[in-house]
Amino acid sequence: MRKQTLSGMRRQEGFLGWLFVAPMALGICIFQIYPTLFSMYISFTEWNLLRAPRWIGIRNYVNLFTEERYFLKAMSNTGVYALGTIVPGIALGIVFAILLNQKIAGRFVYRAIYFIPVVAPTVALGVLWQWIYEPQFGILNAVLKVFGIQGPAWLGSTHWAMRSMIIFALWQGLGFNIVIFLAGLQSISTEYYEAAEIDGANTLQRFLHITLPLLSPVTFFMLVTGVIGACQDFVTPYILTAGGPANATLMAVMFLYGKAFREQHMGLASAVAYILFVVIVTLTLINFRLGKKWVYYEEGM
Amino acid sequence: MNEQFTRRTFLKLAGVGAAGALLAACAPKAPGTTQPAEPTKAEGEVAATPAPAETKRLIFSSYTWSSFEAAMGSVIDDFVAANPDIEVERQFVPQTEDYWAKIQTQVAGGTPPDVGMSDYGHLVSYAKSGILLSVSDLVAGSGFPIDKMLPGAVAQYRWAAGDIDSGSEGGNLWGLPSDAQGQLFAYNKNMFDEAGVAYPTDDWTWNDLVAAGKAITNADANKWGFLVPPSGMWVRGWYAWQAGGEFVSADFKTATFTSPGVVESIKWLWDLIYTEKIAPPPGLQAATNPFMSGQVAMTLDGIWWVADFATITDFEWDMAMLPKHPQTGSRLTTVESDGWWIYKSTQEVEASWRLMSYLAGEAGQAKLGDLNFVVPSNFPEVGRAWYTRTPPEHRSKALDNIVAESRKNFLTFFEVWTVLGACLPPIDAAFADGTDIQAAIEECNTVAQQELDKAWELLNQA
Repeated sequence: MRKQTLSGMRRQEGFLGWLFVAPMALGICIFQIYPTLFSMYISFTEWNLLRAPRWIGIRNYVNLFTEERYFLKAMSNTGVYALGTIVPGIALGIVFAILLNQKIAGRFVYRAIYFIPVVAPTVALGVLWQWIYEPQFGILNAVLKVFGIQGPAWLGSTHWAMRSMIIFALWQGLGFNIVIFLAGLQSISTEYYEAAEIDGANTLQRFLHITLPLLSPVTFFMLVTGVIGACQDFVTPYILTAGGPANATLMAVMFLYGKAFREQHMGLASAVAYILFVVIVTLTLINFRLGKKWVYYEEGM
Repeated sequence: MNEQFTRRTFLKLAGVGAAGALLAACAPKAPGTTQPAEPTKAEGEVAATPAPAETKRLIFSSYTWSSFEAAMGSVIDDFVAANPDIEVERQFVPQTEDYWAKIQTQVAGGTPPDVGMSDYGHLVSYAKSGILLSVSDLVAGSGFPIDKMLPGAVAQYRWAAGDIDSGSEGGNLWGLPSDAQGQLFAYNKNMFDEAGVAYPTDDWTWNDLVAAGKAITNADANKWGFLVPPSGMWVRGWYAWQAGGEFVSADFKTATFTSPGVVESIKWLWDLIYTEKIAPPPGLQAATNPFMSGQVAMTLDGIWWVADFATITDFEWDMAMLPKHPQTGSRLTTVESDGWWIYKSTQEVEASWRLMSYLAGEAGQAKLGDLNFVVPSNFPEVGRAWYTRTPPEHRSKALDNIVAESRKNFLTFFEVWTVLGACLPPIDAAFADGTDIQAAIEECNTVAQQELDKAWELLNQA
């Protein structure tokens, strides 16, 4: 039998390793890295897909902030939407998770019911809520009318459209938040609560000084993923309002989509994508930086 | 000593085999029939027709809705039966926006179809980009009866280099219209009867519409006289043009949304909601048209709604000529036409022309008309047959209107949706919230001018 040296065996194992990851690595290079780099190049060009791209330097980026009337509106709408869905979403998720963590009859049924909107297609839910919000014969205004309240044109009013969309997003995402926080709650050792009870802590004190701190890693995760998801949301505004009325619910990705596929300005759309990328990365880094101050891990207690 | 077939050896062989299979799957396809043609022939010049020694293969592409795919399939089957030397591969995409995204991607990838559904809003940018084949010589050489087509329909597919809009008489033909869609003015007879109001007549003016609307409207019962169309609809132009206004100057260099006729028409629509209160405030309708659901007594919308309105069973409805402007007497309707065009990269010019001329010609039009899918008013004999069908009883009023007074719609110029997408939102906000419409129109005009200037700059780039 041929003897192999240690370095030869290592080389052979390394080669085998690369061989097995090659298909995946090739796929990542072709379908992720290459399009990302190509998109970066396109963001410095003017391109309508019908002719070759024309290099224009940073003009797309400058135009977005100086000439495009609705880019900053789209970004600010995205910020409002993110704030409106993340903070209440986390708060409601914690509250409902605590409620559903109690040993009550039928709690598994309640958990399933809350999770249904998470698994249902967003398009179907969007159409459903269009009917709910319908100003003339939707169920929401019909219920309000019983109490003598004239409901607004929810999705047709520039004042109410974004609020309506946030309500829908909170409703749709609640089930997912509950499940995640439920898992977090169930991972908290009961010993802390027993010790606190012995020390005379009431329910609120146990919640503030045990539950919340020990849930902070989960909260941090929900915050980071929530920011990323909210900034990238496209289906919700596309189905509910198509960005209207009068761009009241126009969000960054919808703006990008319109520039690319309605107006054939691929360069401008790519520039929007990279600006959005920078914004999301910046917010994520800020989250991680601030997280060091308020996220507690159990081993640190 | 022989080496055993170890697990390590097996894994090595499996890894090499998997990598090889992946590389084989990713190998580029052999060149197909739609490689870009050599740019040697001049604009509009027709390639020599090859002898049909073998089957010619074409790719036909279109967007689809409802059962349009089945209808088009049926028409193409007829064509193939009459032209056994041609095979047609069909590509249908469910949504219009998705369709154009796909076409643009195919063009960028060098694999556009041979013949495709056209769009008047894309004509200038597509022709300017050099991806369409001019069919002027093909039309002239084949004797295609283009003179029988409505001028407003054909104008959408004429374009001369350097023009920002289609329609110039000296321009080449870059496609053929498949239909000529104007507006319909439909009314709910039951709602008119309940209110004791006489049905619309050919003498109706805008004022008669308002008067009837006031008599019919009962907001508490969610019954309204008229449905104001969204800006994306009325910007096609008919209201403004009936009132004698123009959105832009004749040379397309100056935005004129603040011209008296345009201001009057937009303000009139706004007043229907907030002053006369005969129209519901614009809300995003979920899944049904308010006219179809019996909430609104009158609607003025695209003729393409006839196929859907024909399914109404809850009430009786009919059509009338568009109400005239009270001062100018105009009841002008706009014409917009889907159509067909040939991509310049086709390797089968003659076969593509045969398919396209069949679809746009009398035979294809008659078949599509039978299937209730297009308004084939390009050819009077064919068109009249579609318009005499019921429901409704007076469907032919829409054809009378188009023939009497029609004009190519406004949505045909270069960068149309970039310009309108920027300038219409202030007006949309005024309609949504009932705020100052005059200020909104002025803001719209300012933005339109800026965007028009940018469109010209882009057009004039090489």
